[in-house]
Amino acid sequence: MKDPSKSLGANLQTPKPQSTAEQTMERLIFSLSELEHLGQTLISGHTNFNHSSKTYLRITLGTLQIRRGAILRYHPTQQNLDVVAVTPDEVFPPVPVEPDELTALLQHAFIENATPPESLKQFFERSAKLADVIDIRLWVPLKIQDEFLGMIGLGKFLARDTLEAWEKELLTTLAHQISIAIAYSQMVEGIQSEKFRLFMLAESAPQICQLLQPEEAAEQVVHQAVSLLDANAGALMLTNIDQQELKMNYAFPETLLERTTGTDSGNGLVIPYSEDASTSQELTSKNVLKSVVTEGLPGHCPPESDTLFGGRNLMAVPIPGRDGDVLGILIVGDKEERGGSITAFTDEDVILLDSFAKQAGVAIENARLHQEALEARQLQAEMEEARKIQENLIPDMLPDIPGYEVAGHYEPRGPVGGDYYDCIALPTGRWGLAIADVSGKGMQAALLMATLRAGLISELSRVRNGVGEEADDTTPTHNPLYAEIADMAMTLNSLLYASGTEEKYATFFYSHLNPETDILTTLNAGHNPPLLVRKDGTYKWLGEDVGGIPLGMFPNDMVTNIAEYEAEHVQLISGDVVVYYTDGVTETVNVEDDYYDEERLVEASIACKDEDAEGIRASLHKAVMDFQGEADQFDDLTLLILRKK
Amino acid sequence: MLNKFDIQIREGQEHAVIETAGYLNDALGEQLSEKARELIQNGHTQLVINLEKTTLINSIGISILIEIIEALEEREGTLNFCGLSATQERTFKMMALAKYAGIFPDEESAIANL
Repeated sequence: MKDPSKSLGANLQTPKPQSTAEQTMERLIFSLSELEHLGQTLISGHTNFNHSSKTYLRITLGTLQIRRGAILRYHPTQQNLDVVAVTPDEVFPPVPVEPDELTALLQHAFIENATPPESLKQFFERSAKLADVIDIRLWVPLKIQDEFLGMIGLGKFLARDTLEAWEKELLTTLAHQISIAIAYSQMVEGIQSEKFRLFMLAESAPQICQLLQPEEAAEQVVHQAVSLLDANAGALMLTNIDQQELKMNYAFPETLLERTTGTDSGNGLVIPYSEDASTSQELTSKNVLKSVVTEGLPGHCPPESDTLFGGRNLMAVPIPGRDGDVLGILIVGDKEERGGSITAFTDEDVILLDSFAKQAGVAIENARLHQEALEARQLQAEMEEARKIQENLIPDMLPDIPGYEVAGHYEPRGPVGGDYYDCIALPTGRWGLAIADVSGKGMQAALLMATLRAGLISELSRVRNGVGEEADDTTPTHNPLYAEIADMAMTLNSLLYASGTEEKYATFFYSHLNPETDILTTLNAGHNPPLLVRKDGTYKWLGEDVGGIPLGMFPNDMVTNIAEYEAEHVQLISGDVVVYYTDGVTETVNVEDDYYDEERLVEASIACKDEDAEGIRASLHKAVMDFQGEADQFDDLTLLILRKK
Repeated sequence: MLNKFDIQIREGQEHAVIETAGYLNDALGEQLSEKARELIQNGHTQLVINLEKTTLINSIGISILIEIIEALEEREGTLNFCGLSATQERTFKMMALAKYAGIFPDEESAIANL
């Protein structure tokens, strides 16, 4: 269809001009045809009014035979009129509209630019530049019922000063069509936005639940929440229920916390939420976040009350866990609108974020469980390695010592224990018997035990073992063996202190046996004193009075100040039994929560003292097991029996 | 990557590539829209938008992309997207962007199919 505004010029060149009625008819046909075309456009999926507004303007100007004009679209959140289509094509800034001007604009069907009503004079002053350039004569407010949608500004009418009545009726129809197009566009934009949000909610929720790394899950939760809510910022803070604290886990953008004032910045942001942390009811972002955790309900904070994120419009929802605990809170900030303005979060936004937070809770817990399972698998593998190490440290068989019987028993609590015993043949024909209890379990304990054993063997291969000098002289300062053993203990202490981490140490009891003289020289480093049971049934605790502190607990210079390692000796005779043990024996608990204790150990040892070493070992083990009954075993159980034939 | 906010233009003989980096929201979207408008006005009606460095888009970003598609349609131009994540590709299909613009895995194939 020809554009009648253009055909006017062409008509001037034609020899036979059209009559007014013919022109009017042609304009009407053109207008109807174009309106049909626009109707098709409207339902074809092209929904952007700003884009189609040029066509609407072209139809309006063509139908009414006007050369210049503009369509302005009203943005309620920005409270201005945006010039979306203009002829001639030129860029104009938006025209602000005051609320009372809106009311006035809704009251008029047409407004003459030259004689605006009093209530709109200021508005017309603000739009003067546009009116001057376009030479606007007539304004037509666009509205549907009481909703103001925009305006049409029409320039000089061709060959007439005013519009005829039928032209005004046509203009009213066109304005109504344009209003419908704007409203439809708004509605479709809203539907598209909701469609996008619902799709993203449906799409993102299963995705985040599949993320296995907690850090990645946290990042995606925040990013998806920001995108879903058209926000500009977001953060995830997780609760530490024991500490009653909220701690920043992830924030977007990275610069979000740079504007944080009055508290820690970066990922160190911590907010205590326990009842006694703060009882202030003042509306601040910090108090809002606290109440979201404690009450388990969504919260809002206006920009003027946000002291945490630099004055943002905030919305926060709790993230529920499976067991009803609040895992943390999800925060979004500054919902944006087209044009860059910030708007308030709506009730629908709260529902959307709340729904997403439920999925986020599943995602966070899934990632945590996966992490825990990984750590458990890693620990299991580590324990298996440690068990292999430890298996090599505990002797499979004990040696035959001339004139003596030796028997050992080791029963770890878990796959890897912390006990150690050994019986080492020395180059000098002497024997070294050691028992130790390393603190902790697992790989660290096994490595500490390996270090202790390696150090012990190394030291025993170096020392002179006091050959020929230990027999008679019992004065510590004059007994070279005492000094050697004490030096060895200091070396082992230094070794363990240097290699062990904090809280890693070993109780240790060393016995140096000379089978020729039957002298047993001993040193105790914080271990349970072994029990010496004589043939006649009397007994004594070895190393009870001269014990030093466990190995590896303090550096050597402190050991010297606290309790130096001292050796002593005892003369063994036929039938004597030495029972070495770890605290797993005496601290075995029965179903009534009673300890096995030293007293029962003495009693059981005396009862079986006349058996051979293996028999004593079996009897003592049985006595402990009988006492334990159905109760759980809490610690490694280790026995080393030395019996003088 | 999301914290970086950038637009790069690569103009070819008959086409142009716009590469965005960062969160495609109103701010980045307006910049993208402005660049696309300039390119179209300068006669580039064969456009590729590379979103490889834009992993996050909100509904305003989507509406701006729709506007660019409509502006190109008016000039009978073509728009291809590339560098989309799997989620973005599904989103574009669901939001009908894929009906009016091509989606390709990389810039090379997106240019080749203009």
